[in-house]
Amino acid sequence: MLFASKARQAPGMTLEGILGPNDRLDQAPGMRAEQPEAMCVCPDGQLLFSSGMRIHRLRAWGNQAELWAAFDRPVTALSCGADGLVAVGLEGGALKVLDPGGRPVEGWSVPSDLVSVTDCLFLSRDEIAVVDNGYRDDRDVLSVAPWDETAGGKVVVIHRSGEPRVLARGLHCPMGIAPDLSGGFIVSQLERADLVDASGRALQPGYPGYLGRIRRTDTGYVMACLSRRDPLIEFLKNEEVFVADMKADLEPRYWISPRATPEFSHDFPIELGAARLFGDVKPWAPSFSYGLVIELDEKLMPVASAHSRANGSRHAICDVCSWNGELIAISRASSEILNLGRGSPMP
Amino acid sequence: MPAQIDFASLPKQHVPLWVVSPRRVLADILAKGWIESTIPFLALLCVLVGIALTTDDYFSPANLQNLAQYAADGGLVVLALLIVVAAGGIDLSVGSNFAMSAFVALYCFHILQLPVPAVLLLALASGAVVGTVNGIVAGLLGCGALLTTLGTMIAVRALFAIAAQAELVEISTSSRTDDLWDWIGFEKLLGVPIGAWCLIIVSVLVFVLFRQLRFGWHILAVGGNRKAARHGGIPVRTTVFLAYLLAGLIVGLAGFLFAARQNSISVADTGIGMEFFALTALVVGLGGFVPGKGSPVTALIGFATIYLLNNAMINAGYRGDFVQIWMGGIIILILTIDVRFRKNRHRLLASTYLDPVALDAGPVQGMKGLMPNEIEPKLRAAQILASGRVDGPEDVILDAEGNLYCGNRNGCILKIAAPDYSDVSVLAKIGGRPLGLAFDREGRIVTCVAGMGLIRVTMEGAVELLTDETSRSLFSVQDDTAIRMADDLDIAPDGVIYFTDATKRYDIDNWGLDLLEGRPNGRLLSFDPKSRKTRTVCDNLLFPNGVCLTHDGKHLLVASTWACSILIFDLARLSDGPRVFLSGLPGYPDNINRTSDGGYWVALAGMRNPIFDKVLKYPELRRRMTRRVPPTNWLFGNLNIGGVLKTDGLGKVVDALWDAPNGPLYMITSMREHRGALFLGGVTNDKIGRLALDGADAGWTGPASYWGRTG
Repeated sequence: MLFASKARQAPGMTLEGILGPNDRLDQAPGMRAEQPEAMCVCPDGQLLFSSGMRIHRLRAWGNQAELWAAFDRPVTALSCGADGLVAVGLEGGALKVLDPGGRPVEGWSVPSDLVSVTDCLFLSRDEIAVVDNGYRDDRDVLSVAPWDETAGGKVVVIHRSGEPRVLARGLHCPMGIAPDLSGGFIVSQLERADLVDASGRALQPGYPGYLGRIRRTDTGYVMACLSRRDPLIEFLKNEEVFVADMKADLEPRYWISPRATPEFSHDFPIELGAARLFGDVKPWAPSFSYGLVIELDEKLMPVASAHSRANGSRHAICDVCSWNGELIAISRASSEILNLGRGSPMP
Repeated sequence: MPAQIDFASLPKQHVPLWVVSPRRVLADILAKGWIESTIPFLALLCVLVGIALTTDDYFSPANLQNLAQYAADGGLVVLALLIVVAAGGIDLSVGSNFAMSAFVALYCFHILQLPVPAVLLLALASGAVVGTVNGIVAGLLGCGALLTTLGTMIAVRALFAIAAQAELVEISTSSRTDDLWDWIGFEKLLGVPIGAWCLIIVSVLVFVLFRQLRFGWHILAVGGNRKAARHGGIPVRTTVFLAYLLAGLIVGLAGFLFAARQNSISVADTGIGMEFFALTALVVGLGGFVPGKGSPVTALIGFATIYLLNNAMINAGYRGDFVQIWMGGIIILILTIDVRFRKNRHRLLASTYLDPVALDAGPVQGMKGLMPNEIEPKLRAAQILASGRVDGPEDVILDAEGNLYCGNRNGCILKIAAPDYSDVSVLAKIGGRPLGLAFDREGRIVTCVAGMGLIRVTMEGAVELLTDETSRSLFSVQDDTAIRMADDLDIAPDGVIYFTDATKRYDIDNWGLDLLEGRPNGRLLSFDPKSRKTRTVCDNLLFPNGVCLTHDGKHLLVASTWACSILIFDLARLSDGPRVFLSGLPGYPDNINRTSDGGYWVALAGMRNPIFDKVLKYPELRRRMTRRVPPTNWLFGNLNIGGVLKTDGLGKVVDALWDAPNGPLYMITSMREHRGALFLGGVTNDKIGRLALDGADAGWTGPASYWGRTG
């Protein structure tokens, strides 16, 4: 047991090799959208993506997006079932189920104690797994989660008829869910930077980013990262007195944390290597915001990656999916839907 | 009419008389060169204590004199080997050479009956001949030192054996005596044997050689990096040759002393194994086989350790092979500890050098309605000059004709000609990193150059060093006489130049560490061109940066960058210390300059922010951060946004000039007003800004304000 704790701790992945920097995200064709957050691919081949309180439909890349549904609250999650039903997570922990025509489908028993709906997944025609990260939507999860040890996230399965049941609890800021190969599911955790199963067991830790949603692809998985892991933030996690003082005295917007946008502001700190030279931010500079998409094989090991580095603008990738063989990603920072083209070749 | 500053009514700024910190003392000691001898010195101490505890009367005066008499020639051979090793070579022939020199001395004295001075000269010549052969083959011809000296070792040993066997009986039976010869061999001066005096004198000469003489520096350069030495213009082969020659001479002297003391030689014993004994002593002293390092004291410490250990064990009656086993074990132990210490010394120094302290600059004051998010970014209207043609213009200055001058990262002072500022030319090449600039009464530029000091440049481009050191601080372990980071200056009406040395502990490349440390490491200095004396006006200031003489010429404003404040000194009463002219700035003030309406411009090189202000209150966190987090990820003040504040003559902020958050004028380190426009420079920028000032005096210039000079 003397070395057991060390043995369990897998070394963290660094942005080298397959995960080495590139500018795929910055070079990708993009489509503007207002506050895009989630997307899903329907069985009929259409792409649905959220834009604030609306859901738009895209028949093919390059086409004009069409309004498909509208709500009175911002959309926070989207998932499409095999029969064309669409689950829509809404701000405040609400969930709606729509038919392929965008009409509400009643009868789904949504629990009242959901704090948020971060992601959802049709497990079958009659079951939807809902990811609740435990943070109210008006809280900046990126700022708060790194400094919160509370594991208040859970996965709840709701039924077309019947009571909801909690499938997993005690998760630390779960952000996405995807089916695995054995009929179960995989959950991505933002701050822990790992993928876990229903029991909370880490399937693969040590990813180099703060994770967003994860999706199945033909070759494995693809994962959105809201930012890259930062050595300074990881170091400060051990500085409990300072962090307590920071949380007590300052508003969350001033906290040291991953950020969604690469904005300059006089009241934000920088990391020393991020100082501009000749007016420009160096691409290799450290930054609290970053754009990163990681393609994984079936064993959850990275096989390819797409980046938007410190001098880029397409940061905070919150959702990604495979559509007609092409990877589509959402950049929260630039408010764009991005087409990354073909993903990694089949191994 | 300049504003009347009521100096006495301003709050006093506390300035510590000295900075006390155990960690700093430890770091400063670890930074000393002599700390490398710690382990050999401790090993010697252990040997001395061990001998004192186990051997009676070992350190009696009589025994000490005896030891000194017999150790001298061995010590000289170690010094000879040190010179060769310092030059990157090795000499295995020292033992043979020693024996041959001793034979030559005895032959000349007993057989040829030569006077003692001639004997000495011929013994030296004998040693020099072997050194010359080594030098020619290993140095001039470039053959391997190991093989060359192995060859001379064998050849000279054979020669010695032949000669000694032929003449041994005649030497042994010689009845010649000589007072001088006996005096050298057996007598004492002031209680110290003559041989030991020779060792002391040669040690001092070798010390001076490596410290003060060009030839000694050449030896160290060649040993340290032969290729670099060659590129630096050092005659490498000649230097190596001369090193062998010098070593041969010293070995010759050692042989002469041996001959005078022993009056006999032995084919089987004399000089046998001496090269390995000397090498062992050198390795123990230097902590390894270290070319490029000339430290006779350390080498002699190693020699004393080995010599005394060997001598004490033999005196104690141990068998020779037993002594050798113990000697080998003890030497390995010493070397292991020493090598570990040397390897980790720099790591230990790096982990202790940064010595943070809690720093609280207080809340931001007097900026209501003037913060970047509260007003329009006026610098957005600035015209960009010389874009991409300057590199890091930390300070900008204009002459009466409107020509612009700035320092450049490559060590030049650049001139950007008026009126269109498109022609950039080099006024002078200085080297170092030119920072602050000022015109003196004669129209020459005086500049602070980081890493060099205070430099004066004429309009013809002639460069003159004014000063590069000041008096040493009291109670400082580290020698802080050198001006490490001359930053900004201004010149008083009497011609005295006041300038800042922003930090005594970090150079220009690591100035950011000074903020993370947060200690008062800087000082305000003055240089009087008439007496050419440099004086420390005020020590222990918190990163003193910009300097500006007030409009009335009676006070001096000094920016204290990390304190986010402006200090003021009364030139008539400098000893009273500083008072606070302006505090609670929203960023880190850099240079300060006069405005045309009696106020002052203050450049902000970066912005404070709530979280970094909080981090500054946690010194241990900052120390841990610098140890565990890569430097590029260290948390820092925001250097990507800066600006310019305008104050009135009494220090009230009346306006603020900001660029757009991602604008080209971001880290502003200086600004000068000239004929209704403001010129802006930045130490990390490659452009200069020019902003037309509404309502400013279109005829006002800096040279006119200071010296009444008009274009």
